[in-house]
Amino acid sequence: MATADSAPPQGQQGSDTPTPQTNAPATAPTNPPAQSQPQLTPAQLKAKAKAEKAARRAQVKEARAAAPPAPAAPSGADAKGAKGKGKQDGQQSQSKSGHAHRPSMAGRRPSLFKVEVDVRSTIPDCFSHISMAKRIQTSQADKDVHPAVLAVGQQMATFAIRDSIARLEATLLAFRKVIESYDTPKGNSLSRHFVPHVLNPQIEYLIECRPICFSMGNAIRLLKAKVNKFDIDTPEEEAKEGLLETIDLFIKERIELAEYMIARNAAERINQGDVILTYGRHRLVEKSFLRAKENGKDFAVCIIDDPFDRAGQDLAKALRRAGIPVFYSPNVGGLRHQVARSTSVLLGAEAMFANGSLQAPAGTADVAMAAADAGKNVTAVCETINFDRERVSVDALTYNEIDPERNGPESFRLMYDTTRPKYITGVITEYESGAGNSPTQAILTILRKQEDPTIA
Amino acid sequence: MAPARTIYAPSWEKLEKALKTQPLEASIEALIFLLKRRQLHGDACADATASILRQVVAKSKWHDVDDLLVQVQKAGSRLAQAAPHEPVIGNVVRRVMGLIRDEATESRNADDFGSESASDIQSLAPATNPLVPVPTTRPGPTPIRLPTLASTTSFHVSKSMFNLLSIADPADSVAGSFMTGTSTPISQAQPASVHALRGEVMDGIDEIIDEISQADDQIASFADIQIHPGDFVLVHQPTPTVEKFLVRAAAKRRFTVLISSLSPPQTGEVPYAALRKKLSAAGIRTINLATNGLMAYMPKVNKVIFGARAVYQNGGLLADSGAYTAARAAHESSKPVIVLSGIFKFCPEDPSDEASKHELGNSSSTVSYADGSTVDAIEIENTVAEYVPPNLVDVYLTNL
Repeated sequence: MATADSAPPQGQQGSDTPTPQTNAPATAPTNPPAQSQPQLTPAQLKAKAKAEKAARRAQVKEARAAAPPAPAAPSGADAKGAKGKGKQDGQQSQSKSGHAHRPSMAGRRPSLFKVEVDVRSTIPDCFSHISMAKRIQTSQADKDVHPAVLAVGQQMATFAIRDSIARLEATLLAFRKVIESYDTPKGNSLSRHFVPHVLNPQIEYLIECRPICFSMGNAIRLLKAKVNKFDIDTPEEEAKEGLLETIDLFIKERIELAEYMIARNAAERINQGDVILTYGRHRLVEKSFLRAKENGKDFAVCIIDDPFDRAGQDLAKALRRAGIPVFYSPNVGGLRHQVARSTSVLLGAEAMFANGSLQAPAGTADVAMAAADAGKNVTAVCETINFDRERVSVDALTYNEIDPERNGPESFRLMYDTTRPKYITGVITEYESGAGNSPTQAILTILRKQEDPTIA
Repeated sequence: MAPARTIYAPSWEKLEKALKTQPLEASIEALIFLLKRRQLHGDACADATASILRQVVAKSKWHDVDDLLVQVQKAGSRLAQAAPHEPVIGNVVRRVMGLIRDEATESRNADDFGSESASDIQSLAPATNPLVPVPTTRPGPTPIRLPTLASTTSFHVSKSMFNLLSIADPADSVAGSFMTGTSTPISQAQPASVHALRGEVMDGIDEIIDEISQADDQIASFADIQIHPGDFVLVHQPTPTVEKFLVRAAAKRRFTVLISSLSPPQTGEVPYAALRKKLSAAGIRTINLATNGLMAYMPKVNKVIFGARAVYQNGGLLADSGAYTAARAAHESSKPVIVLSGIFKFCPEDPSDEASKHELGNSSSTVSYADGSTVDAIEIENTVAEYVPPNLVDVYLTNL
């Protein structure tokens, strides 16, 4: 047990150190397929993987030469892993289990297997049902995973791409490259072959890196519906063209235009002389503030930050640069006082459930409750792509994520919490109905009105 | 730098040892210095205040009870002003002054055997100025008490804290209570037995000090009643009182402790390592929550426990910041909120000006001074203690 106790820090280092090596080959091939070689056959991919492996082995050897005594064990394990990689890829392409730790690999890479077990082992039993993002070495991924998706997956697992809309956009752009590089095999049709054999492995990989957010789920549903609509005889070029167009339109409408509309709607609701309280940093909230300032409104912003994240400080600086007076509170301490001096509350949401509950960074619910107690308006901003029509959540332990950066024997952290609909006065969406501001219970109506078959 | 500071920095331990030999004024100044540096918190403040007041009684020159009360009150208000964020100091001062009055009354009653005359004198006090609105200057139960004094012969003031709470209000007891009817006649009656009184008062203060030091243990004796097997107990920034409570419960119960704190640990530092070690030795699982809001964890939590810095007249309390969030989240999920507080933390103050009860802390720990533009332009408020309204508290566990 003593080794198990000391393992996590070691293990984290173990998983940290190889990533620079593996990241480089992962990001490098993202560009070539888009520009020079639009299509990569499986054989070509394999050749590429072999080249990567050789490079990695050379690096490992160098590392061993540079520092022989200490990292001997992990580097040895890595080399072993690299040796076995080709075979593993073969196995994985057949098995569609999507699980990273297979018994066969456990034997091959003892250090890696331990890492995975240990990372989850510190999670208390009562929270063990909640998923957590994890880094999967690119060499471990299914070989059908497109390099662009590999890179996006890595960025998601390391939280380089964080919020739901950024993840959605990155995913769509990566899928765009997947479609561009797709070649329907002989005797198959795009509408029958693309989703199960090409798209699904990408999605499985992304889910493995980090559970997909609602917006990604919605977008994927849209994409699949679009593919299914193609007639079996649709020429490949036409189908691909159609899909790319759909993605472009989607990004434009649901992300770019939505952002513009929400910022506009929210800015209209900020009045001269207001003190607006907000929690942490949310892209839409920031845009709304800046927009209101551009519109010539004078108001102040009171930022409640999360001391374990400190994103609010960046928001404070950005607002300050725009000339907006800022009160900054580094944590929820003195929340009643902060709420009492503000006129209303503007919150950013990660997602919205069918029952009108808001999924947002942990702490949002506490701020919303304090504000509702004090009789202040609590407004949330959220794109409709983040709305979920089926899932319902009343507490934060139903759908949540564990913060991998703060997970260990010394700390535990959930990323989101759930704000009940009764504490939210309204939601501002890009949709115009009700001036874009509707009570949370009206979500289903909004979605229906939108008549979007994808979310139906 | 660091070792030098440990050598020269004054500490309460050193001061406590030197109390007997050092001149009184030096001791008071030293304690004021410690309070201003915020080296003492909560229970330690109360203990230090009582010890210093004991020295005031022992060392200062006084000829009658009034004199003594003035001295105690002066020293007390100096301490209280040095640490306005620690209402406990005011409580101890009030307590000691109440004690002095009690002792004076008792000894007078015993010596004089003139309960009749005492009641005469008592009744004289309001009688000298019958039209002056005495009851209005002393709100609350005073009007009820005066008639009883006049009618019944035995003038008895209970020593219980309840009585102290019901009679005193801050302006009254700290600033001007020695001017009131209870003390003035006593001093006229008893100028002689100063020596005996001194001894009795010092004994009384020793009792108060004992009470303060034992409060945690007495509160902890409720631990296994309140904590049940299998509970998930959320403690917010556990104070020594809460730690003792948990450790006591751990001896009898198997439960899980979730510890929340608003300050992220420095690198390499494990928050509440000592407590966690003690609890895990008893087989109790502890989880450190690195979180700001607590609503997310509430479905799992069975009860929320935190320590109070002070409890106000209306039942609200002053606690480490974040306590409001914890209590509010628990309230939302209908989980009981248990507040641990020694009875000496109950103050007869009205917290109507809520914002002034908040204590603001050092903001440089959250914003770097190197970041000039931020520090310059943004108003930063790092609240370290905040008010929790009474409706969010379910249980007070005290040492009464």
